Amino acid sequence: MNQNTQLAGEWKTDQRPEPKPRKRKRLDSEGRWGILLISPYLIHLIVFVAFTSIASLYISFTDYDMLNPPEWTGLANYSKMIDDPLFWKALKNTLYFTILLVPIKTALALVLAVALNQKLKGLKLYRIAHFIPVISSWTVIAYVADSIFNPRFGWANSLLVSMGLDPKNWLADEQLVIPVLVAVAVWKGVGYMMVLFLAGLQNVPGDLYEAAEIDGAGPLQKFWRITVPLISGTTFLVLILSTISSFQSFEQIYVMTAGAVDGVAGGPNNASLVLMLHLYREGFTFFHMGYASAIAWVLFLILFVFTFMQMKLQKRWVHYD
Amino acid sequence: MKRKRSFSLFFSALLSSALLITACTGQQANTGDPQNTKNDSEQIVLKMGYYSDPPTQKKMEELLAKFMEKHPNIKITTETGPHAQFFQKLNTQIAGGNAPDLWLSDGVKVFEFAERGALKDLREWIEKDLSKDEYYGMDANKGPGGEVWGVPQGIQIGVLYYNKALFDKAGVKYPDANWTWDQVKEAAELMTIDASGKNGKDPSFDPNKVSEYGFTIFSSPVGVSRGWFPLMKTFGGGVLDSSLQKAVLDTPENKQAIEWMVDGMKRGIFPDPVDLQSFQDPFKPFLSGVSGMQIDIYAARVKMREAGLNFDVAPIPAGPAGKRFAPSIVNSWVISKTADEKKTQAAWEWIKYWATDDEAQREWASLGEAIPVKKKVAEEVLTSDTSLNAKVFLDSMEFAGSLDANAVFGEWRKAFDEAMFPAFSGEESVDQGLKKANDAVQKVLDGFYKK
Repeated sequence: MNQNTQLAGEWKTDQRPEPKPRKRKRLDSEGRWGILLISPYLIHLIVFVAFTSIASLYISFTDYDMLNPPEWTGLANYSKMIDDPLFWKALKNTLYFTILLVPIKTALALVLAVALNQKLKGLKLYRIAHFIPVISSWTVIAYVADSIFNPRFGWANSLLVSMGLDPKNWLADEQLVIPVLVAVAVWKGVGYMMVLFLAGLQNVPGDLYEAAEIDGAGPLQKFWRITVPLISGTTFLVLILSTISSFQSFEQIYVMTAGAVDGVAGGPNNASLVLMLHLYREGFTFFHMGYASAIAWVLFLILFVFTFMQMKLQKRWVHYD
Repeated sequence: MKRKRSFSLFFSALLSSALLITACTGQQANTGDPQNTKNDSEQIVLKMGYYSDPPTQKKMEELLAKFMEKHPNIKITTETGPHAQFFQKLNTQIAGGNAPDLWLSDGVKVFEFAERGALKDLREWIEKDLSKDEYYGMDANKGPGGEVWGVPQGIQIGVLYYNKALFDKAGVKYPDANWTWDQVKEAAELMTIDASGKNGKDPSFDPNKVSEYGFTIFSSPVGVSRGWFPLMKTFGGGVLDSSLQKAVLDTPENKQAIEWMVDGMKRGIFPDPVDLQSFQDPFKPFLSGVSGMQIDIYAARVKMREAGLNFDVAPIPAGPAGKRFAPSIVNSWVISKTADEKKTQAAWEWIKYWATDDEAQREWASLGEAIPVKKKVAEEVLTSDTSLNAKVFLDSMEFAGSLDANAVFGEWRKAFDEAMFPAFSGEESVDQGLKKANDAVQKVLDGFYKK
C-alpha cells in the first residue's frame, strides 16, 4: 500500500508543474497552431452542436410544423406537456426502463469482466461472444429476440409450456414488455460495458492481491476490498454511460414494438412508449416539432440532474488513485 | 519566424480551398437559372422525389429516361428511398427550403402537405390539359375551396381476399359480390381450426389454441384501409363528417360494426391484436396460408403471389342495410409551392406524360403495384389478368371512398388506436371505447383546425 501511495505522490509532482502565470493576451504561434488544429472539432461543435441546440431551444418556444416558419408561443409547449398523459406515461416508462436496465447491466458486466479476466482456455472466444451483440444492428437483435419471445414460435414459451406453465405474450403484454426489452438490451449492451470493466481491471496491480492473499483474504474479500474500490472510476463511467444511453433508447423499442409495420411504435397500449419515441412521433410523424423540441429539452434537464447527482455522489465512493 | 510563415501558408491554403469549394457549389447551383432565362429551349433541371423499392425504382428510372428523350429541354434528377425514410427526409427538406420541385405523395399524405401550405394548386393545369372523366381518383385531392392538390399516379382499392385452398378444405362456397358480413362470419367459423382440429362451430372448440383463422380484420392503425374503417363505413358509420373537421365516432352504427369485430376476436375466429403480434408481421397469417380471408389493397396481390397462395378476390361485403364501401388511396403527383414558373411548367410536363401516355401507364402497371389511373388502360390491364377475378377491383371503384384523410390523418389514426385498444382487447366496452376515441380524435382535429 505504502509503495503505491508513494508512487502516486511522485507522479503528481512530476507531471503537474505549477502553471506559470501568463500575461500575454495574444496567442503565440503555437497557440494559433493549436486553435487551427482543433478547428475541425470546433467548427463541428459550433455548427452541429451549439447552433442546433440553441435552435432547438428556440423552437421549443414556438409552434413549428417544419413546413411553415415557427410562430412564437411562449411556454405553450411546456404547459401542454403537463397536460399530456402520454408524456407522463413515456416518462414513467423511461424511468422504469432505466432503473431496471442500468443496475442489471452494470452488475452483469462487472461479473463477466472479472470472470473473463482470469486465465481461461479460449478466453478470447468468450470475450468475442459477449461482444458480438454490441456490434450487431438492432434489427438483427430484434429477429434473434423474436425467436425467443415470439408467443407462438419462440422457445421461451416452449420452455414455459414444457414446465407446465401458461405461455406468455411477452412483447404484447403490458406488464412484460419493458422487462423483456430490458433483458434484450442487457444482452446487447453488456459486452461493451464488460470491455470497459476489463480495461479497468487490467489497471489493478496484481501485487495487491498477492499481499491480500498473504494476509489470508479469500476471493470474495479480495473482490470487495480490492477490485471494487480500485475500479470504482470505471464503474462510475459505466453508470453514467448506461444511464444516458438508456434514457435515449429509441431504436430498440422502435424496431421491437411494431414501429416498422405502421410507423407508430410503443408497444401494447403505449406500455413501451419512452420519451425518445414520444419525441420522434410528435416531431416527425405528427409535425409538432415545437413540442418535440420541448420534450428534448426536458429530457436534457432530467439527464443533467441525474448526471449532476451522480457526480456529487461519486465523492463518497469513487477512488481515482 | 519560419513557424509563423508556415502557419500563414497553411491558413491561406485552407482559406483558398474553402473559397474554391464555395465557388464550385455556387457555380453548380447557378447552371440552371441563367441559362433558362436566356432561352426557353435550353435545359431546365428539375428535382423529383418518389418513394420506391428496387423494382419500382428501376421502372421509374426507365420511364424518366423515356420522358427526357421526348423532352430534351428537361432534365430530371431524382431522390428516392423506402416509404418511411422518404417522407421523413422530405419533411426536413421542406423545412430547410430544399424541397424537391415535384414529388410522389402517398394518397393519405397529400392533405398533410397541402393544408400546411407546401403544395401548388393544380386546378388550372388540370382543366387545361386533362379530361377529368378519363381518370380515376381525380376528386381525391380536392380541397374545400375547390383547389386540387395533386394528380393521381396510381390507385389502391380495398377488396376481400380469400384463400381458395382453405375454403375448399372447409367445404365453404367462395365469396361473391352479394356477400354480407354475416356470411363472412359464418364462413370464418367453419374455416377456423383449433389445435385439436375442431372448427369454430364445434362446442368444444378452444379459442385460445387456434391454428387456422377464418378472417383477418385489423384493429391496429393499418385497419384504416384493411379493417375497422371500411367495416364502419359499410355499417353506415365513419370517423369524420364531410367537413373532415368533426369526429362522428360515437354512433350506433359504429358500435354495431366494432362489436361485430370484437365478437369474432373473442370467439377466436378472427386473430386479435395479440395473436397478430405473435406472427411478427400482421400480414403473415394470410400470407402463410393460415387465414381464410383478409381485407387488403390492390398492391397486396404481389406478395400473395410471391408466397404461392391460391387466392382470389371479392368486393368488400355490404353492411346490414346494404351499404357498400371500398377504401381507396390515390397516390398522387404534387408540385412544391416553392417551384418557380419554369420548373412548375416542366413538372407539369412530367405529370401530363404520366397521365396521358398509355404506354407509360402500361409499363408502370406491369409491376402490379397499382391500378393505372387512366380508366381505359386500367380496364385493359385488369381484364387481361386472368389469374384472378380482377374485375372486382374495377367494380369496387363504383363505391370507392377516401380514408377521411386530412391534415392530421396520421395523428387522428393514432388517437383512435390508443383510445380503442382496451375495447378491442375486451377490457372495456365498445361504447366506452368509441366515446373516448371520439373525444381523442376531436382533440387532434381541434389542435389543427381551431388554432
